[in-house]
Amino acid sequence: MTTLIDEVAALLAAAAGEETVATWRRDRKGGLTGWCRLPSADSLLAVGRAIASIQGRLSMVTAYLTEKAREKGGREIAYHFDLDGATLTLTVPLPLEGAQVPSLTPIFRNCDWHERELMELYEIQVVGHPDPRRLFLADSVPDAPFERLIPYSTFTNGAGGKALWEKVLAAKEKP
Amino acid sequence: MSSVIELGPHQLALEEPMYFRVKLEGDRVAGLDVQPGQVHRGMEHLVMRRNLYQNITLLERLCSLCSNSHPSTFCSAIEEVAGVAIPERAEYLRAVADEIKRIASHLFCCAVQANLIGQTALFRRAMEVREIMQRSKEAIYGNRMDLAANCIGGVRYDLTPDAAMYLARQMEAMKAPLDELYLQFQNNPAIMARTAGVGVLPRLEAIECAVVGPVARACGIDYDVRKKSPYGAYDRLEFSTSLQQAGDVRARNLVRLAEARQSVSLIEQCLAGLVPGPLCADLLPEIPAGEAVAKSEAPRGELVYYLRTDGTDFPLRLKWRVPSYMNWDALKVMLHGEPVANIPLIVNSIDPCIACTDR
Repeated sequence: MTTLIDEVAALLAAAAGEETVATWRRDRKGGLTGWCRLPSADSLLAVGRAIASIQGRLSMVTAYLTEKAREKGGREIAYHFDLDGATLTLTVPLPLEGAQVPSLTPIFRNCDWHERELMELYEIQVVGHPDPRRLFLADSVPDAPFERLIPYSTFTNGAGGKALWEKVLAAKEKP
Repeated sequence: MSSVIELGPHQLALEEPMYFRVKLEGDRVAGLDVQPGQVHRGMEHLVMRRNLYQNITLLERLCSLCSNSHPSTFCSAIEEVAGVAIPERAEYLRAVADEIKRIASHLFCCAVQANLIGQTALFRRAMEVREIMQRSKEAIYGNRMDLAANCIGGVRYDLTPDAAMYLARQMEAMKAPLDELYLQFQNNPAIMARTAGVGVLPRLEAIECAVVGPVARACGIDYDVRKKSPYGAYDRLEFSTSLQQAGDVRARNLVRLAEARQSVSLIEQCLAGLVPGPLCADLLPEIPAGEAVAKSEAPRGELVYYLRTDGTDFPLRLKWRVPSYMNWDALKVMLHGEPVANIPLIVNSIDPCIACTDR
């Protein structure tokens, strides 16, 4: 596995600068996880292409905005890649206002839904996404529900309980 | 002549709500738009408002068929952050619960497909065989679906010598029927006529869509989390990855049935290797600030959890990606050029989980 660690180190340095290094952890069973913070979203496309060049697979994208980060005026997105069993997590710092990331969907086809989902949950713009429609949430739900208080029944589009029946009854009353 | 039709759960023969907008050329599929979110329950939002212990119960209710994979993978993520090693006996017991769920899940998927192609007797047979597993769950865990087997640091159930013997007998009872089902799905001409060469996902497209689990293994992609990134007891268990090359409906079912048969052997190995000892780490651990990624091979494929904590009992962020998540997109490839009549069969052949996808 040392070869993988070296390979990733070289790729990250070439794509995002010498100071971008991943630290690796081995779990009790030998499973390898790598953790890396990119300096900014600018290098994301280059790093994505570098990971694709070694047959890395995009596993998951996690956007988040914690209270602490909000106070400091920043937020983050973590991109998780699978490298033949090992997992590499790249964390990208973003500003609170006007956060933008380039779309990785042209490189990793399965990034499509991940990016559509994070766009509707957080105030993050994914630039160059081929199909930036809402994915899970109804158009009636306000933008970025993970960043502001929205009644639960509105958020889940009244998927259960009183809100749903109010909608059904309202529709029935229409001529 | 091209047209667009809308299909809902009823037309797709699904138990859960998923909607498709399908573009047709004549009676052949030319395009597909999947419209999820009909059963969106805001669970990623909910988990951040419950503490880590409460979330085990909540996550078990995420979906029914992989309801052991979610809490066990979540617990693994917490254990990784807290640096807790679970006792050896607990590792085996987690694997037993996982494999029982895998057999039941795979058989359910194959049964539904038999029903869709009009093989009612085969559907009944597969469900009958699955019933052996359902009864085992009920006998051991007291429940036919959610097992409540996991806790942070180990498991919440034990197998007494009597229970272990009972489970071993149930496993013995599974062997011949599973072999028989495999032969049916492999060779029965009536089943082959409806499944071979249907809904093909070529290997290169499978890699591009990043599909996982039986859908990927049916395309010749040799990836099983239990092998690639072993967890729990799997590093001590003997098994091989089930592979097929054709990438069609038949191949996906053969992978599932081979895996179900293998799960029987895995449970037997766990019963044989069940060392005495505690079921859970001594103390409820303090969960420090940190982050971890945990993975497991759920019945439908790789399940990934990312946990970020800040030293309190509440997760700062908990995100998971289910195996079905990429399979929906792969349906665009599988369905292309297929007649409308094959849509429900092909959709069910990916063993879709809508509750998991929507969360």
